[in-house]
Amino acid sequence: MEFLSYFGGVFEPVALALLFGGTIGGLILGATPGLSPTMAVALLIPFTFHLAPTQGLILLGAAYTSTVAGGAVSAILLKIPGAPANIATALDGNEMAKRGEGARALQLSFLASGVGGLIGVMLLIFLTPVLAQWALQFGFPHLFWIAILGVTVIGSLDSKSFVKGLLSGCIGLWLSTIGYDDIQGAERFVFFDALSGGITIIPALIGLFAIPQVIEMFAKGRRESKVESLEVPKYSFMDSVRELFSSIRALSIGTVVGSVIGLIPGVGGQIAGLVAYDQARNFSPLKDKFGTGHSEGVIAAESANNAMVGPSLVPLLTLSIPGSPTAAVLLGGLLIHGIFPGSDIFTNHPEVVWTFINSMLIGQILMVIFGIYTAAWAARIAKAPVPIMASGVLVLALFGSYSVGQSMGDVQIMLILGVGMYILEKFGFSAAPLVLGLILGPIAADNFITGSRIADAQDGPWVYFFTGPLNIVLVTMVVASIGYSFWTNMLRSTFADKSQKSAGEAPAE
Amino acid sequence: MKTLLKTATLSVAALAVSATMAFAADYPERPIGVAVSYGAGGATDFQARIVTMVAGNEDLLGQPIYILNKPGAGGRKGWNWFATEAEADGYTMSAYNIPHFIAQSIKGGVKYSADSFEPIANWGADPAVVVVGKDSKFNTMGDLIEYAKANPGKTTTSGAGLFVGHHIAALQIEKACDCKLAYIPTKGGGAAAMKAVIAGEVLAGVNNLSDAFRAREAGNVKILGVADLERNSFLPDVPTMKEAGLDVDNSSVNFRGLMVKKGTPQAVIDVLAAKVPEMFKHKRVASRMKAGGSPMHIMTRDEVKAMWAKRQDTLADLLKGL
Amino acid sequence: MNTQRLQHVVPATIIFGLSIIVAWLSFTEEPAAAYTFPRIISIIFIALAVWNFIRAATGLSRVGRGIDFGEAKNILPGMVIMLLLVFWGAKALGFYVASSIAFFAAYSFYDPTPLSSVKDWAKRAVVTLLFMTVIYVLFSSVLQVHTPRGLFF
Repeated sequence: MEFLSYFGGVFEPVALALLFGGTIGGLILGATPGLSPTMAVALLIPFTFHLAPTQGLILLGAAYTSTVAGGAVSAILLKIPGAPANIATALDGNEMAKRGEGARALQLSFLASGVGGLIGVMLLIFLTPVLAQWALQFGFPHLFWIAILGVTVIGSLDSKSFVKGLLSGCIGLWLSTIGYDDIQGAERFVFFDALSGGITIIPALIGLFAIPQVIEMFAKGRRESKVESLEVPKYSFMDSVRELFSSIRALSIGTVVGSVIGLIPGVGGQIAGLVAYDQARNFSPLKDKFGTGHSEGVIAAESANNAMVGPSLVPLLTLSIPGSPTAAVLLGGLLIHGIFPGSDIFTNHPEVVWTFINSMLIGQILMVIFGIYTAAWAARIAKAPVPIMASGVLVLALFGSYSVGQSMGDVQIMLILGVGMYILEKFGFSAAPLVLGLILGPIAADNFITGSRIADAQDGPWVYFFTGPLNIVLVTMVVASIGYSFWTNMLRSTFADKSQKSAGEAPAE
Repeated sequence: MKTLLKTATLSVAALAVSATMAFAADYPERPIGVAVSYGAGGATDFQARIVTMVAGNEDLLGQPIYILNKPGAGGRKGWNWFATEAEADGYTMSAYNIPHFIAQSIKGGVKYSADSFEPIANWGADPAVVVVGKDSKFNTMGDLIEYAKANPGKTTTSGAGLFVGHHIAALQIEKACDCKLAYIPTKGGGAAAMKAVIAGEVLAGVNNLSDAFRAREAGNVKILGVADLERNSFLPDVPTMKEAGLDVDNSSVNFRGLMVKKGTPQAVIDVLAAKVPEMFKHKRVASRMKAGGSPMHIMTRDEVKAMWAKRQDTLADLLKGL
Repeated sequence: MNTQRLQHVVPATIIFGLSIIVAWLSFTEEPAAAYTFPRIISIIFIALAVWNFIRAATGLSRVGRGIDFGEAKNILPGMVIMLLLVFWGAKALGFYVASSIAFFAAYSFYDPTPLSSVKDWAKRAVVTLLFMTVIYVLFSSVLQVHTPRGLFF
């Protein structure tokens, strides 16, 4: 309970002002397409030069928590996930917004983020020493299997057709191999110059999600009727709270999956939301409602990606190993002030560490308050007439994809991917499995190649990749996941085919 | 008509010339970007952010410097971008890492070489060190080499990618001891390579001195040797490779500094070459770098030019036949 | 073969062709070590593409209704604006000028109000200006992203 005695530091006037500023700023930065939490935190580093160590960390901690949650705003309202963490949120959240339930989706997403985030930080406070050892257990073969485990959910993710889902994922995996091979340094599949840098994930996300939507709006043409895209009824805050706690299953799945995955260095944040989303659907009796604007989808995804924030700092604080790009930036923030993380950081600099962690706790709460407060207001964005919306999203996509790396190549890839995705979507393919392939491809490939090199120097790949308790557990999970997804999808498609013949048209393949 | 056209062309040309002149005199009149070829939070990014933090001071450049991360493929992505897409107007600089980009250009497959860029100044030198886990049975470089000789190709040694400083150091050690290591390049820079050492996934690792110093402070690793000509002030107790009986020089030392693209107006280069070393020398920069455990080594444009040329020769020699 | 089946066969064929190209490149390009992973992917890719093609050819592929002519006609002007903006305007005219024009053009074209009304033209101009101001403040002032200036600013 040592951390309680350091709460005072959070409530000093300067600290409190930074906390407010960091939270509000983080929400805005997070909601800006093209700005991932990593970039947002990196942007704030120069400000911390002028601050005392604790104050600087309060700013960074608050910004980190709120950018992750802020990404949900553009994911829900514009279907532009600001970062990979928010992809799953966009799936159901945007459908809700299109139905005019944007305010409800935003409130639920902030509440779920808050709950998940608080539990994640609590884990950081109470279980750090235990978890640190656990995080170290994941070596190259294990990360490889985790990535493969992620790949196995591809077929069922947001796709009405099993084979098309798998094929989308496969295209994503292939796209991820374009450009330089990171370890060998050889160029692959560079058909034109813009591709030589490979496909950067944030521009790809913007293209794959936002551009099809823009084209979809164009396709409606100059339509007289329904000038406004939709209505935004106010949604009562208490109703959201009630709804959150009645979806306790989605909330707990999200929180547990998020915290567990957040701990694993190198995989963490990117896929926590998607895996939680998929699991929440598998365990839900209303399986088929996912993807059509089902609130459980938003809750699971958002609780997971904020639950990941706390545990992702465990390896950083105790072992000085940044587990994610954002953690690496935070490490820089610590180093600038001469604070070296390590197992003794809690005894050497308790005032800094505990104030930092406490500020994340308070930050979570502030994030919920500000988020909810602006939800109804922000949801009005979705109320803009279709032509404004379409042109606006197009311009945002241009600026967002450029600002990541200041490269026209990124922008061109963004548009090409987007137009391609629009056509593919028209034929039943979907963006989510494709993006998952794009994210997981490099993780699987790099860990496989590095692992193979170690295996060659040791007892060979078989021993290295298939023995040891953790490998066996993960391989079993992979096999079970593949089996489960084949079983349910084949069975479903068999039934669907039969009913099709009698009914003529079937909604699902 | 013809004369009119001629006059017009001439006046346009004159306008263009005077524009460049005025341009150089006013330089810089807006913020300057520095492209870093490694991810946010990595050692290069972290140091670049510190050494450029006072750029906005009136007596220095008078305009702030912002960092632009272009990570990928061991730095190739960022430098390719810089060599092909960036404008040679002095408003986009890049951080260089020696020996990385020279080694990569010798190895081929990239769109740059040492001739594509103009050095401005050097801010830091981060020697490669050999680290092992805290519970490792190796206590000296001798122990490690003895094991490597007894088990050729089985001494797994992690480092941040191929043809970067770490790899060069590993190659030099192999050449010096006439033994075979198993060099394991990891993705994700020095941090991932360090994690593999701490977690015991590999027997040893080559890493940045600054990161290793930190990991040792945290009680996670032992540092066996430093690949430099003399001992480092951060690690006075760690012997150099030469002291450990290995003929390894300072070719793998990771020099970091700023450069611009070839074709940048000479006047702009002159402004930068005069002001940037002053910026690196600022006392706030020095204190922050020291706090972060990052060794500084300030060199002027001419010194860097000589250093680049020397590295070009040694590396071409070392990488021959690989 | 009805139109819908035909519509599904076309992308299925293209994807199958792509998978063949990917496999061909993966197994022929050097250095082979860099292509280990693409090789594994390309084999799975071909298998899935064949499966998908068979489904499309036999008319089993029904998800997704394809693109009809009316929609394509509606999309065309917007698509032209998009392509011009990204592949030419953004760099040649500068991000802010090109985006303003693209925004105004797309908005005007897809706005259902009659094109003769001066009031509506004014409204569209004001909305464009407001939106671009927000974008300018966000990206240029707050985030300090330096975008290509092109001809103007």
